[in-house]
Amino acid sequence: MNGWLAAAAALLACGVGPTLWGVATGPVRRRVVAQNTATLLVCLATLLLAQGYDRSSYVDVALVLAVLGPAGTLVYARLLAEDLKAAPPTGRAGTWAAVALTPLVVVPLCVAAGPGRAALKLLAIGALLVAGNMVAARALRGAGRTDCEGAGPAEAARG
Amino acid sequence: MDDVLIVITLLLVAASATAAVAVRDPVRQALVLSLLGLTLAALFTVLQAPDVALSQLAVGTALTPLLLTLAVRKVHRRPHTRDDGRGGETTGSTESAGAIESAAAKERGE
Amino acid sequence: MSRRLRMWVLALGLAGLAALLGAACFELPDFGGDQHPYGDRAVRAALSHHTANVVSSVNFDLRALDTLGEESILFGAVLGTVVLLRQTRDERHVEPAPARVSPPVRRYALYALPVTLVVGLYVVAHGQLSPGGGFQGGVVAATALHLLYIAVDYRALRRIRPVGRYEVADAAGEAAFVVLGAAAMLGGSAFLANSLLPYGEFNTLASGGTVPLLNAAIGMEVASAVVVLLARFLDQAVEIEESPKPPSTPTSRE
Repeated sequence: MNGWLAAAAALLACGVGPTLWGVATGPVRRRVVAQNTATLLVCLATLLLAQGYDRSSYVDVALVLAVLGPAGTLVYARLLAEDLKAAPPTGRAGTWAAVALTPLVVVPLCVAAGPGRAALKLLAIGALLVAGNMVAARALRGAGRTDCEGAGPAEAARG
Repeated sequence: MDDVLIVITLLLVAASATAAVAVRDPVRQALVLSLLGLTLAALFTVLQAPDVALSQLAVGTALTPLLLTLAVRKVHRRPHTRDDGRGGETTGSTESAGAIESAAAKERGE
Repeated sequence: MSRRLRMWVLALGLAGLAALLGAACFELPDFGGDQHPYGDRAVRAALSHHTANVVSSVNFDLRALDTLGEESILFGAVLGTVVLLRQTRDERHVEPAPARVSPPVRRYALYALPVTLVVGLYVVAHGQLSPGGGFQGGVVAATALHLLYIAVDYRALRRIRPVGRYEVADAAGEAAFVVLGAAAMLGGSAFLANSLLPYGEFNTLASGGTVPLLNAAIGMEVASAVVVLLARFLDQAVEIEESPKPPSTPTSRE
C-alpha cells in the first residue's frame, strides 16, 4: 500500500464517513450540503486511487463524477426548492474546506504525473470540480433567495 | 494492506445502504441513495472494476435522483389539484391567466 | 395442478437450486487468489482481437448476445414507460411557467452542458480502450441535455428535445445492433461474431473490429432511451395535471 492509497483511504474514512452521517440525519438543508461535499470527496479519492494503482485510465471515473456530481446536486437544488426556501443552508465552512482540499490533492498528482496530457486532464478535472461544487453549493443556498432577486432570468434563458 | 481500502469502502457501502433503508421519507432517501451510489463507485474502483464504477456513477449521480424527485413531486401534488378544483375551463386556451397561475404554482412545487 | 402440488414442485426446484449453488460455492477460488481461468481466457481473446479494454471485449465481442438482451430490456422498459405515462383522457396539459434560476447557476449549466456532452461522447468513443462504453457514455450525454431543465428552464430543454426523433433514434440504435450481428452472419460466420472488420492497431481508436460500432449503437440507444424516459417523467411532473372534471376534448400535446 503506497502513500496515494493511504491518502485515499484516509479521505474515504475521515471525509466520506462524516458526510454519510450528515446525509442520513438532520434537516434537508444539511443533507443536501453533505451530499454535495461527498461528491467532491469521492471524486478526489478516485483520483488518488487511480494514481495509487498506477492506472491512468481510472481517471475517467473521476472525470465523469466531476461533470455529473454538480448536476446531481443541482437536481436537488431545483426540485427541493420549496424545502430549501423555507430553511436555506447556512454553514459554508464544510464546502470551503472541501474546495480547499482539491488543489491539495490535484497539484501533487500533477507533479507525480509530470508535464503532459495527463497533468492537463487532472487540472481540468480539478477546475471542473471546484467550479461545479461552488456553483452547486451556491444554488443550494440561493434556491430560496431567487424569488426576491429574480430579475426575469427566464427571458435571458431563451437567448 | 490493500484490504484496508476494501474494508473501509465495504463499511461505507454497508452503512449508507442501511441508512437508505432506515430513512423513510422518499426525498431524503434519494439523498442517501446518491451517497450509496458514490460509495459503491469507490468500492468498485478499489476492486479494480472501473467499468462498473462508471455505470454506477452515470446512473446514480444525476439520473436516479431526478427520476425519484420527479415522481415524488407528481405524487405529492395530486391531492392539491383535486382539492382546490381550480382551472376547470382552461383546457382549450393554455394561455389564459388561470393556467399560467396554476402552472406557476406547480413549478414552485406546490 | 393443485396448489399443494405446485408448492411441492417449487420446493423441489428451490432445493435443487440450493444444492447446486452450495456445491458451486465450495468449488469457488479464494477471494483475491491468482487463479483466474476465465479471466486468462478473456484477456487472451481480447488481445487477439486487439481490444485494449477486456471488459468491452467481453461485452461486445465474446458475449455480445448478452448485451443485445440487456439492450432489449432497456428498450422494453422505456416502451412500457411511454405507454404507461401517456396523457390520459381525464388529464389536462398545462404550460409550465418559466423557472427562476440565479444567473451564475444558469451560466454554469450553459457552459457545463457542452463539456458534459463531450465527456459522454468521449466515454462512448473510447469504450474499446479505457473504462466506459456505450451505456455509460450514453447516460452521461443524456444527462447533459437535462442540465437545461435542472439549471435553466424546462422550455429551453423542450426546444432541443423533439421526443419523436429520440424515439426513432432509440429504435435505430437497437436495430443497428441486430443489423451488425446479422451482417456477421452474411459474412459467413456466427451472429454477432467479430469478423466483419480488420482488428486495427492495438490501443488506437479504430481497433477492436466491430466493438466500436456496437459501442456506438448502444450509446445512441441508451442516450435516446434515457431522454425519452425522462421526457415522460417530466411531462407527468411538470405538464400533465389531473382534471377536476374530464374535458370533452382532450388537448393534444404536439
